[in-house]
Amino acid sequence: MTRYLAKRAGQMALTLFLIVTLTFFLVQAQPGDYATFYALNPDLPAEVRAQLKESFGLDKPLWQQYLVHMKNTFTGNFGVSFGHFPRPVMEVLAERLPRTAVLFLTATAVSFYIGFFLGKAIAWRRGGVLEYAATISGATLFTAFTPAFGLMMIWVFAFKLGWLPVGKFLDPLIWRGAEVSANHVFSYMLVTGAAFIVFAFLVLFFFRRSGRIGPAPLVAPIIGAAALAIPVAWGLSDIGFLALDILRHMILPIVTLTLISFAGTMLLTRNSMLETMREDYVMAARAKGLPEKVVRDRHAARNALLPVVTSLVYSLIFAIDGSVIIEGVFSWPGMGMTLLDAVRSEDLPLVMGSMVFIGLFSLLAHVIVDVLYVYLDPRIRYQ
Amino acid sequence: MATVREAPVLEVVDLSLRYQTRQGEVQAVEGVSFELAQGQSLGLVGESGCGKTSVATSLMRLLPENAYLAGGQVKLGGTDLLPLSDDEIRGYRWRRIAMVFQAAMNSLDPVHRVGQQVIEAIEAHRMETTLADARERVARLFRMVGLDPQLMDRYPHEFSGGMRQRAVIAMALSCDPDLIIADEPTTALDVIVQDRILRELKVVQQELRMGMIYISHDIGVVAEVTDRIGVMYAGRLVELGDTADVFRSPMHPYTAALMSSFPSVHGERLPLVGLAGEPPNLIDPPAGCPFHPRCPYADDICRTEFPDRSFRGDNWAACWHPLDASPLSEDRQNQDF
Repeated sequence: MTRYLAKRAGQMALTLFLIVTLTFFLVQAQPGDYATFYALNPDLPAEVRAQLKESFGLDKPLWQQYLVHMKNTFTGNFGVSFGHFPRPVMEVLAERLPRTAVLFLTATAVSFYIGFFLGKAIAWRRGGVLEYAATISGATLFTAFTPAFGLMMIWVFAFKLGWLPVGKFLDPLIWRGAEVSANHVFSYMLVTGAAFIVFAFLVLFFFRRSGRIGPAPLVAPIIGAAALAIPVAWGLSDIGFLALDILRHMILPIVTLTLISFAGTMLLTRNSMLETMREDYVMAARAKGLPEKVVRDRHAARNALLPVVTSLVYSLIFAIDGSVIIEGVFSWPGMGMTLLDAVRSEDLPLVMGSMVFIGLFSLLAHVIVDVLYVYLDPRIRYQ
Repeated sequence: MATVREAPVLEVVDLSLRYQTRQGEVQAVEGVSFELAQGQSLGLVGESGCGKTSVATSLMRLLPENAYLAGGQVKLGGTDLLPLSDDEIRGYRWRRIAMVFQAAMNSLDPVHRVGQQVIEAIEAHRMETTLADARERVARLFRMVGLDPQLMDRYPHEFSGGMRQRAVIAMALSCDPDLIIADEPTTALDVIVQDRILRELKVVQQELRMGMIYISHDIGVVAEVTDRIGVMYAGRLVELGDTADVFRSPMHPYTAALMSSFPSVHGERLPLVGLAGEPPNLIDPPAGCPFHPRCPYADDICRTEFPDRSFRGDNWAACWHPLDASPLSEDRQNQDF
């Protein structure tokens, strides 16, 4: 496994190198570059123009510019953003990337869970009302035009009903007197979420090996207690209401994303389940006198999961692609919005930085799903 | 052969099973009755599609969605299983009746460890309370079927075909069932492994005093492992008798035909006699004896009325013109059973 991961890391480095190269030349091929945007401004005196050209390195040949760009990129120097001047690109990305990641990973996880849950239920009891309702509504939402559906959700839940905020990351009225920055609160929220996930895995892992037969009795209460303790602790802290504001802003985009994407997982799970339900080991499981729920979940659905997980890679990459649209509709200041704004304002360092990080994210999604696959299917062992 | 009969473990009375298909209703099993005593083994033989497997799955009530039981009783230790609720029948499955499936190779789930798949049955029927005891039981079962207990933490794909077969048998024995149904368990294996596993299965069955129903189209294999043999044709049991008697002198013309279409290992090379024609369409079975279109002895009564049983001792055949007690051929008489 270590060897495999090392090999994969090598492949990733190579792919990343290609992504950076491609991004560089793609941006160079655009009609608007550094030179036309800044250096050719007729209001600038000629000597300032020359100075600018020199400081950007635009007087050097292209291959030299490329080498400098590569060196800078792989040493983590993405330059300074034009649009957010004088903040470095890295700083802007470090602020925006987690917001996108949290929003879209949560939406992907929720829609995967709902899709898988519904998919196995409708395959298990075919021809029920649930099957028709879930298939028709799921397919309708799946094919809906995303921006129109997003606007409709905003219109219903934010404008008409007024339950949730219209968009953006936070409500300035609530934050007016706040002594901490939104990034500060958000990073605390991230740490809390990550700690909870790690804790839940540790509890599961520890109690699995408790030597008892059957499901471990303490797992659900312990994880449940932790899940309850977190909101209580946040509520007692003086930044709890700020975190709640961020959470409230996350609900509508997550629900919208979930609604438009769960049907893919659901239909895939359903078809996969219909295959595995015919397998002899499912019949054997039933013959063993196992409860129907165990036959369904531990045998039929567990095997049906394998091809569905493969599709998770595509969902994750789609999530990042789709972030441009969804973040635009909900004014969510994440990677998609950043990329869009950067392109529109010719903030070229930020464009290149965003592209590299989106590429990196896709690569990581691939590796994570590959590793997950090894865990899920014992027949697969990578060399 | 037929010595003192113990009280039957299993009593099947007039079992009928239908499948609903687009073409019509298939009468897969029709009026099948037999008994099985403790420690006794019964072979069910017949061509593909004659209802052998349907009988087996009815006994465990593991029926596909389009099947329904049209009548009859399956009594296990006096309790009729057919009217039981789904929750009640679950307690009988594996604990009282276990099964080694037709495609035993595929009846292990590829994503779980083999031992774990045995343990989940032990767990479902509360045969043991701690994991250590359950693992000890699995180890004992593995040794019983000739597998290294350390293999229990391996996955099915790490097993050879024969090892998987043994693991599936160990799994079937895990809850000390009264009855074990083996549905062509060795068809996918080569003959040497097949033979060894059959012998071991027979030994284990006798040691544990379980009843066994062995289903196969291979009449030679059935002869090797069973005390009694039932011949099925077109969903009906057409002959039932002690294995040796049936082999020496079959009563039903179909049984005789079935036997002469299989080669004998022991005797001289006799030309194999095939059986002309096809089994009848079970959506619209022929009137009278279902075998009459292929039977050389068929006459008017065979075409109109289903035959009564003709008895010879405890053995019987559903035939208007049962064959004489004369041996089929010298060759088959010399076979040792």
